[in-house]
Amino acid sequence: MASIRRRTAMLAGLGLALPQPALAQMDATRAVNFIQTTGNALVEALNSTTLNAAQRRERVANILRQAVDMEGTGRFILGRWWRVASPAEQQEYLRLFEETLIRNLAARLGEYQGVRFSLGRSQQRTEEDVLVTTVVERPGTPPINLDWRVADVNGQPRVVDLVAEGTSLRLTQRSEYSAVVQRGGNQVSALLTAMRAQLQQMQARQ
Amino acid sequence: MRFGPLLATALIVIGLAGCATRPPASDPEAVAEYDANNDPLEPLNRGLYDVNTAIDTVLLRPAAVVYRAAVPPPVRQGVRNALGNLRAPTILMNDILQGDMDRAGRTAARFLINSTLGIGGLVDVAAWKFGIRGHGEDFGQTLARWGVGEGPYLFLPVLGPSNPRDLLGAGVDVVASPWFWLGQGEVVEMLRWVRTGMTVLDTREGVLDTLDTLYATSLDPYSTLRSAYRQRREAEIRNAGQTAPDAATGTGFGVGVGVTVPPGTTLPAR
Repeated sequence: MASIRRRTAMLAGLGLALPQPALAQMDATRAVNFIQTTGNALVEALNSTTLNAAQRRERVANILRQAVDMEGTGRFILGRWWRVASPAEQQEYLRLFEETLIRNLAARLGEYQGVRFSLGRSQQRTEEDVLVTTVVERPGTPPINLDWRVADVNGQPRVVDLVAEGTSLRLTQRSEYSAVVQRGGNQVSALLTAMRAQLQQMQARQ
Repeated sequence: MRFGPLLATALIVIGLAGCATRPPASDPEAVAEYDANNDPLEPLNRGLYDVNTAIDTVLLRPAAVVYRAAVPPPVRQGVRNALGNLRAPTILMNDILQGDMDRAGRTAARFLINSTLGIGGLVDVAAWKFGIRGHGEDFGQTLARWGVGEGPYLFLPVLGPSNPRDLLGAGVDVVASPWFWLGQGEVVEMLRWVRTGMTVLDTREGVLDTLDTLYATSLDPYSTLRSAYRQRREAEIRNAGQTAPDAATGTGFGVGVGVTVPPGTTLPAR
């Protein structure tokens, strides 16, 4: 660990750009508190009886916008194609990514009435982030494990991944997006076209 | 078997055309991704994926939709419970082979309670009255515990996502099950077919919402399924998270039966 940090410092000293901005370490207690607060806010919005479906969706979308590290997660998911993309494509991608993610999550979370969640026992730490485990329960369905990967982004705790029963959302989506780029002749524009079409479909449905 | 040689030739031709080209070493990131995907047969697999989509569209999905609409939930739950109970000897064998005596004890207790008080497994009395929840286990997972690698990713029509290790495991599970050996005659033969048919139907119904969501939201469902299957199996092998229900099978879409995933995550695992 120390040697990696020393090498990082050396590279920085040589003026070499690192592929990812070095993230500050995340404190486990802070990460857990953050998930507790965010989770409670989500549950409250979802189980609210005074809001209608559209209002609930809007409330959930707002909570997610604040809780998720949109840029970092979006860049992680685009992976090696981020550097291939032009600055304009990067901007367009991040805009489409945020819109798609929020709509997807808010639409489907909106069906989660009567949801309860509790913090799991284990919190795994890595060098950069903390995996906070929660158990989500809904009436009539077996409980599931939902893990939140929390990282420090500019001094604030932010969600960078959701892991459902062992399946990471950002890993699955990175695989999906990369396949679209490759099958579109290694062009990021192919992905942007597909994302735009998908977003239009979603807007038409809602 | 007149079609045997023809089929073999066709498979060889598809197989030769079906190998993905490894990216050049000059592009280390592309190589890393190629290795991480573990899918050297991708063109062949995508062909078989299209075959599956065709069969699924005209046959399997409609059957699952009708099954869900026509059969009330308690009956479907009973069917799933009974299918899970029939898997108990297999789960028990793999619990023992993995040296997990605690889980083996629970599997044995569940089988005894549910086969008797639970009316041949239709009612999960063990979970309901005794708090002994079920879990899935199969020989593919046992092999993984013994250090056997998964081998190249495979996508097979009807069955779904898999790999040589999980396929071999599923085969061993079938042959090692007492139901493979016990009984003979037309009635037993018919019961075997009923069980197979109900497993296919229950599996497809069990992943109906997950796959609908996946096909509707993924820009490339093939690679989403591949990633989700491999991650899900890894979690199962580690026995992480909430345990999979015992009706979940060892490979294919069946690994997802009964696992309800949250929104936003497109998984075959349900």
